[in-house]
Amino acid sequence: MTQDVHVVGAGMMEFGRHHDKSFDDLLEEAYLNLLDDVDKGIEPKKDIDAVWYGTVDIAREGMSGAAVSHATGLFEKPITQVVNACATGSDAFRNAVMAIESGRADVAMVIGAEKMHDSTEGLIATAALDRLWRGRGVTMPAFFGMRATRHMEEYGTTREQIAEISVKNHDNGSKYPYAHQQFECSVEDVKDSPTISHPLNLYDCCPVTDGAAAVVVAGEDVAHEFTDDPVRVAGSALSTDSFQRAVENSLTHFGASRRAADRAYEEAGIGPDDIDVAEVHDCFSITELVTYEDLGFCGIGEGGTLVEDGHTRIDGDIPVNPSGGLLAKGHPIGATGVAQLAEIYEQLRGEAGDVQVNDPEIGLQHNIGLGRNATGSVGCVNILERP
Amino acid sequence: MSGPRYHRTKRQDQRLVGFECQDCGWVSFPEERRVCKRCGEAPADYEEVQLTERGEVMTFVVQEYLPDEFETPTPLAMVDIEQADDGEPARVYGIMTETDLEELEVGTEVEARFREMFTDGDRPINSFRFSVPREEKA
Repeated sequence: MTQDVHVVGAGMMEFGRHHDKSFDDLLEEAYLNLLDDVDKGIEPKKDIDAVWYGTVDIAREGMSGAAVSHATGLFEKPITQVVNACATGSDAFRNAVMAIESGRADVAMVIGAEKMHDSTEGLIATAALDRLWRGRGVTMPAFFGMRATRHMEEYGTTREQIAEISVKNHDNGSKYPYAHQQFECSVEDVKDSPTISHPLNLYDCCPVTDGAAAVVVAGEDVAHEFTDDPVRVAGSALSTDSFQRAVENSLTHFGASRRAADRAYEEAGIGPDDIDVAEVHDCFSITELVTYEDLGFCGIGEGGTLVEDGHTRIDGDIPVNPSGGLLAKGHPIGATGVAQLAEIYEQLRGEAGDVQVNDPEIGLQHNIGLGRNATGSVGCVNILERP
Repeated sequence: MSGPRYHRTKRQDQRLVGFECQDCGWVSFPEERRVCKRCGEAPADYEEVQLTERGEVMTFVVQEYLPDEFETPTPLAMVDIEQADDGEPARVYGIMTETDLEELEVGTEVEARFREMFTDGDRPINSFRFSVPREEKA
């Protein structure tokens, strides 16, 4: 049997530098906010059949589903930890959706969290590993910076166009209450900020952020028990790739994103032109620019013009990252995808406040994740729609 | 990381031996595998190929912000290393050495130079770094 899956509740929390909050505190806060958010209420011990939990466990406190039980009191439930680099949260969601589709569960919680500030050495130390032919000091900014260099060379994309992504997302983030970075910046500010990995500067990079987020998904027969205004999951897909394979556009783009998007569009029976709002992976400014092209929001090489002409602003025809994206809202890895889904849920229900897009029907959520010293990537796309 | 890791790929690291998939032409380097990462053949039919000490910069960054043990700025390039015979190049991240940042561009021809890369305990690990050929620097 298969059944339609709906999102019926979402819990966000303020992303930021939370020195006063532990890993468990983050999970607990997102969980309590989620319970509060469900329109008709939810009795978690009775209603939730299973939990999918996303964290890459930077702080080394979150290994295994039992971590969620400790933070939420939800013991005795099947809780699965999902780890898939920066696509961890969106893949946790995808797994919960599959379980409900299959009928093995009727109600599932997806919760993601990352306590980045207790230990970010993990990420930086990886860069310091001695690897022949895989470089030394291949940090995340380096990997994405290489795409920026090549994109500028191949398509004539300008430094200013890349900076426009960061300007737009900081502008949005300053209006979004949960965002970590609450300031606006100009193209000149981005260009004048310290160089991290030429051609990318500090304001091209997402901050180091703590946070958690949670959503509840339910089968079509029970969704109405939780809300009269559910949001349907129309498509969900995951793929992998590596630049080493030297296939089409592998120096500038992410084949994993493209294939995940193609499959999710096909499943939803729509195309990129049908997307009314999107929350996409912008760990760096250039990432969002190439993602426009990978998701089909514009043609290959046209991402710079798309942002420069304002099409992806909140009032544009394809608004991207109204929440401020990873650049302004922050990127607590395991929480990131779940938070994006929570935001799309808010957007489609018209609850997004100062960053509300005009009457969206269909929303898209996207993450990429890198691994193997940034030689491999995963891409995950989920599409939600108002039923 | 310990010695055996570097011993496993010594021929690739020191003599630039690569492995070409006979189905799709993809070159596996430095890993010697039995499956092909591009076409997925399993098992794949690989033949050894000789890579040259010539490469082309496909893209690059200049790292300015790294942990303390790194010198900065550190230029890092994605380099395609040519085969001695016809065939596709091997694609690697290359550490650039003796490089004037001004001469680093997409498409720059570089030479692989055998150098000590780092030490593994007391043991030096030797392999290739890349630089712009001297005659072109004049």
